[in-house]
Amino acid sequence: MTEEEYEEMTEEDYIEEIKEIIIDGDDKAAAEVVEEALSAGLDPLVILNDGLMAGADVVGQRFETGEFFLPQLMLTGRALKAAMAVLEPSLQAAYAANPDLQQKTGTVVIGTVHRDIHDIGKNMVSSMLTASGFEVHDLGVDVPIKTMLTKAREVNADIIACSALLTTSMPVMGDLLKLLEATGERERFKVIVGGAPVTPAYAEAIGADGTAENAVAAVQLAQRLISENQ
Amino acid sequence: MLNYLEILDRAQDGPYITEESWDLDKVAMTTAKKVGKYKLAWDPKKVITADPGLADAIFDAGLELAKELGCYSRSTERIIQFEPGELEDGLRRMPQSLVMGEGKDARTLFPRRILDERLPLIWAGNPGCPHPQELFKASVIGWAQEPIADMLTCGTLTHVDGREIRTGDPIEIIANRRELQILRQTLREVGRPGMGMLAAQSSVSELGDLAVAHPDYLRPCDAHLIPMLNELKMDHRNIARVVNSLEYGMRNASLVCTIVGGLGGDAPGSAVVNVASFILSNLTSLADYMLLHPIHMRHVATTTRATLWVENIVQQAFARNAPCIMVTDIYPKSGALTRELLYEVAANAIVITVTGGHLEGSGSADGLFPNGTGLETRFMGEVGHAAARQGLTLEEANKMVLQLLTKYEHIFDKPDGNPGVRLDEAYDMQFMRPIPAWQQMYEQVKSEVREMGLSTL
Repeated sequence: MTEEEYEEMTEEDYIEEIKEIIIDGDDKAAAEVVEEALSAGLDPLVILNDGLMAGADVVGQRFETGEFFLPQLMLTGRALKAAMAVLEPSLQAAYAANPDLQQKTGTVVIGTVHRDIHDIGKNMVSSMLTASGFEVHDLGVDVPIKTMLTKAREVNADIIACSALLTTSMPVMGDLLKLLEATGERERFKVIVGGAPVTPAYAEAIGADGTAENAVAAVQLAQRLISENQ
Repeated sequence: MLNYLEILDRAQDGPYITEESWDLDKVAMTTAKKVGKYKLAWDPKKVITADPGLADAIFDAGLELAKELGCYSRSTERIIQFEPGELEDGLRRMPQSLVMGEGKDARTLFPRRILDERLPLIWAGNPGCPHPQELFKASVIGWAQEPIADMLTCGTLTHVDGREIRTGDPIEIIANRRELQILRQTLREVGRPGMGMLAAQSSVSELGDLAVAHPDYLRPCDAHLIPMLNELKMDHRNIARVVNSLEYGMRNASLVCTIVGGLGGDAPGSAVVNVASFILSNLTSLADYMLLHPIHMRHVATTTRATLWVENIVQQAFARNAPCIMVTDIYPKSGALTRELLYEVAANAIVITVTGGHLEGSGSADGLFPNGTGLETRFMGEVGHAAARQGLTLEEANKMVLQLLTKYEHIFDKPDGNPGVRLDEAYDMQFMRPIPAWQQMYEQVKSEVREMGLSTL
């Protein structure tokens, strides 16, 4: 889009454009349009809620109904990250001026547990959490529990999300919970677990705060836990 | 022919790329372009296609994808690239005959054609399914005692002497050896000591694989799994399995579990990724045969319309363009003592048989619970044999599968799936035979499938 075209846009046009770009999952365009929208004087909170999050909601719904697939979800996650990198300083300034405006969605540290290298399910949850406004720190696969805990402390996470596809790597999730008990930090972090073999009974047995059968349900679970914490 | 050390070199020296960029910028984007270029689409009412042009287009798109991308080494974050001629040469060299097992129990695998009247070979078992130790041997007896079974695949042990098996821990060595001891002992007890096996599944890491490459455990005439990671990836752990087979000679089963709805997008893109995966794993896994197991992103099972379609089109693509030994997994959503399990098995067995595959299964209850029995394996074999013998057309087979889908598709909407019951609730464990209710269900469904048109069943 040219400078002239941007100049002719109304606030509604900007919001619609941001939403569409997020749905398309174009990271470069997302960063650019947010920068232009800020320059045009749009409220960063409006950009966040009515543009970015609204677009992400559409992607989540289309994924849920089977109209979209994993690539669209991951591209939208990437576009949101690019947009947020541009928006973040303005958002922080707005929050500093008026702390009541801050909407705490939550910070999640996520990873596939040590000695498990499966990542598709974890990536879906990671992308959906990002698309739902969570601050997500994705540590990848084969992540030792000490690394997860260190990162959770560093970013002051609300939730640690563990994924395992293998029955033989699932016990590592229980190890994390035992470690949190041992360090006295069990109350500090919510722990959610997931992966094809993980059942609600298993999650309960190891003392996790919950599990979900798919990425959409995982976001709902994370939102519920955050809201209970508040 | 490419020296495997050359592949190891390429995994070290190939172009660097981050995994995220590989997934999105390479795999997802390039696949989407291929789907557009070849105008690939699927019709959920035609899970068995009678369109040779479509099968060829899927193959061509997959070959292009493999040539353009290569395979990603997750361990080194490098791309293992191949010259187009190397991939094509590899396709020409794919085994056309493979003996599994030994003595009177040996079987010879071969590439099946579309509508091949030669019977598919039957791999019996619940592959990859976790089993408590007390059920493992009984499960193996249940599969191996079925006369229709040609070879054995197996589940995995979850515990050894009460101790939990953990990936990468030394106990994996004991687990795999224990698994093989039980398998070999059981085969002797059922009078089929030479039966070929796909085994060593209780250890996820390479530790257990290394620990059983010995004639007392996994013989050179048996197979082990070399998985390709999603999508188009390998790592040193799995490469170690390949290297372990180099002199010893055990059969390399190239397992590709493309996620339908994953990075390839909808079913056509997933099929393209699946084809490319086999073309690459033929070299990176030194594949003796291909193990086709698409996974539905939401439902896991191979019995959804989309996964059935992918199995159908990938098999046809290879049968027409690069004949190879293709063994295809049946992983139903349902478990033992449910009618739906039998409908799912029948539908899946028909799809695989008429489009050029051998049968492996069944991974009942999504392979999550030990809720599989020898009875559905018998049914899988019977349906497969009947479908091959009867000379169905692809259209007739599709019509039958659509009828079967109406009998079980509702289970995908059940929040807790349809896991059925454990082996010890579906079988009389003293005599290792189905309890009357399970036997009766089998006979009723068999009769129904016969009435649907599989008259030789």
